[in-house]
Amino acid sequence: MQVRFNARKHAALVGAVAALVTFSAAAHHSFAIFDHSQTYTLKGTVREFQWTNPHGYIDLAVSEGPEGIDEFTIELTSINMLRRAGWRSTDVKAGDEVTAIVAPLLNGQKGGLLLELNVPDGRTLVPPVPAINTFQRTPAP
Amino acid sequence: MMPSCAGSALSRHLPLAFAAAVAVGVTFAATPARAQEHSAQTGIGGTWTISFSAGGNPGQTENTRLQQSEPPLKPEYRAVWQARQAAAREADARGEPLATSATFCLPQGMPSMMGGGGPFPMEILVSVGQVTIIQEAYNQVRRIYLDRPQLSLDEIEPGFYGRSVGHWEGDTLVVDTIGIKESVEFRNIPHTLNMRITERIRLVEPDVFVDEITIEDPEVLTEPWNMAFTFSRLPDYEIMEYVCEDNREYADESGATRLRVQ
Repeated sequence: MQVRFNARKHAALVGAVAALVTFSAAAHHSFAIFDHSQTYTLKGTVREFQWTNPHGYIDLAVSEGPEGIDEFTIELTSINMLRRAGWRSTDVKAGDEVTAIVAPLLNGQKGGLLLELNVPDGRTLVPPVPAINTFQRTPAP
Repeated sequence: MMPSCAGSALSRHLPLAFAAAVAVGVTFAATPARAQEHSAQTGIGGTWTISFSAGGNPGQTENTRLQQSEPPLKPEYRAVWQARQAAAREADARGEPLATSATFCLPQGMPSMMGGGGPFPMEILVSVGQVTIIQEAYNQVRRIYLDRPQLSLDEIEPGFYGRSVGHWEGDTLVVDTIGIKESVEFRNIPHTLNMRITERIRLVEPDVFVDEITIEDPEVLTEPWNMAFTFSRLPDYEIMEYVCEDNREYADESGATRLRVQ
């Protein structure tokens, strides 16, 4: 009985998520270029925090992360969505030591989508990525 | 020098402006129904959101259903549309989503900007002779000219928003739009330059308005396609700018979306 209830709940959730993906695609683009099955946890120094549309970007010099990754281009959502979620253009600046959880590009290039960011003042900032829970997290090493 | 000139011009016109204001006031005072209509008409002014996510928007379930409704396409166009949808799904599954107008940071145009803005709010300005709709995403602007005749299609240069004229039928703003480029598509659905969009925009509650949209395109559709979107007021929201300042996404030679990395 419990299993059946959960299955129904899950089906509803999948439907809601699918709808969100459709509409986010309408707003800018599909998130299908990013790996939904794993995440990278990257520690490093911010080279630049770019408060721009259609996306914000963090260019990161990586000190700790998967082997072979020294630089990483981190894509954020639209800055309008970030601002509505409470982000400010001053939240991150060049030189900051940060930890980022990202969904990497599927094609192996050194870039990915930001899912979570720890900044030097101790805050954890989460960008308003539509259907963010569809990205499976890899536990941090 | 300038302020005194402006001041004297103002004082010259003030009695006239006052007389006009009194006349307007008298008109509305004399006809309460007109006053009510006036309030419904100016009431669509403000900042609005269409929301498909959980919570808040009274029209959200209906909006979702309508967004996903099947367009009444003729078989040959249905085949084109379904093939495009299938290609997009397959490309997504490969992790190589097909580039769209969004990849190039192009505005959505009509009718997408009224229903497909996703998480972006919209502002409506009601002024004398014109209603202006500003969609935050891509800084899109539509101008609806009130009580002017529509031009014929061959007098209009095709564009993203076309040419819109409107008039009030009581509390409902009826808008006619033609002249949308064929490349400006709603949900990847093909259309011709002859597509005509009719909207009936009406405040249904003080903080809720509905845009009923009818799309006519006899060469492509078997019948007019109706949909409606419900918007909720965002009382204190200030529309933000949206400039495609640095778009790092691009289409590769196969037409797939890529991200330029450092």
